[in-house]
Amino acid sequence: MGLIPDFKKIATRSPWLYRINAGSCNGCDVEMATTALIPRYDVERLGCQYCGSPKHADIVLISGPLTVRVKDAVLRMFDEIPEPKVTVAVGVCPISGGIFRESYAVLAPIDQYIPIDVNVPGCPPRPQAIIAGVAKAIEIWRERL
Amino acid sequence: MNFLTIFARNLRQGPQTEAFPLGPAFTPERLRGRIEFKAESCEGCRICERVCPANAIRFAKTPDGMTFDCWHNTCVFCGNCEFYCPTDAIHQTNDWDLTHVNADKFEMVEHGLIPNQKCADCGATALNTAPVIKNAKPPLSDAEYAELRARCPKCRAKYLKNRKVPS
Ligand code: SF4
Ligand code: SF4
Ligand code: SF4
Repeated sequence: MGLIPDFKKIATRSPWLYRINAGSCNGCDVEMATTALIPRYDVERLGCQYCGSPKHADIVLISGPLTVRVKDAVLRMFDEIPEPKVTVAVGVCPISGGIFRESYAVLAPIDQYIPIDVNVPGCPPRPQAIIAGVAKAIEIWRERL
Repeated sequence: MNFLTIFARNLRQGPQTEAFPLGPAFTPERLRGRIEFKAESCEGCRICERVCPANAIRFAKTPDGMTFDCWHNTCVFCGNCEFYCPTDAIHQTNDWDLTHVNADKFEMVEHGLIPNQKCADCGATALNTAPVIKNAKPPLSDAEYAELRARCPKCRAKYLKNRKVPS
């Protein structure tokens, strides 16, 4: 029993990243893909990798202003992600609505529906900013473990 | 043999991956990032508020003067405000690292105040905005500028009209 808490401290675990597109214009998604796929930015240096299933995810990157149409799907998917999870809002859309703010078709800010931990403003944020956000999210995630 | 040249080049140049976040990130000089506001050079025309597509800029009248607020969390970094600002009071810096925890969401604001002042001529309370002097001929000296600035809009117009223009 006494060993287990120490183990948790010693072993640095590697989080899985997962992306949710909550009705984004695709700008932020392209930047997120860039962050992961091209060697110039290479988010995997931080010890994390994108995964394809919400059930494996630890850190969720959400883009888009949560349109009325995708709301149910997004909330259902978010519930499937196991605790402890850390949520990163990528772009100004999920944070405030950005350019779509106060539109009848969007439900932004997204933190009314989903607890958000880290915000990365930008439209879209540059890959370095997304990496900074992921780095912050990993810190928070390690504390929550 | 092509792969050998590539191998040699890679050995020489090192990895192409940027060091960030373990080192500094490459930032272009003219990257469109965080908005900066200089209250001293603002004319108070409120064009920036009008042209902002994301409604990120808001002016408000307070007892102390007129406040300027730009919320970085809804600004889309389009640069419209800087483009239309007649005095370069609003400026887009190349600072892109605005990452913050959600608790600080509403603190990501650029705030400025254009204070009230008493007009040096008539004593009325008016905003201490930068005077519009683009069309003043000949250009104002520094002393004239200070005198003009200390006045209310009406007295400023009078001042410019009565200005002795050496011919
Ligand atoms: S923040 Fe800008 S780039 Fe990102 S999804 Fe919204 S509109 Fe598109
Ligand atoms: S910042 Fe520029 S555009 Fe905005 S009110 Fe001041 S002078 Fe006008
Ligand atoms: S850069 Fe564009 S969105 Fe941001 S404050 Fe200026 S006009 Fe508004």
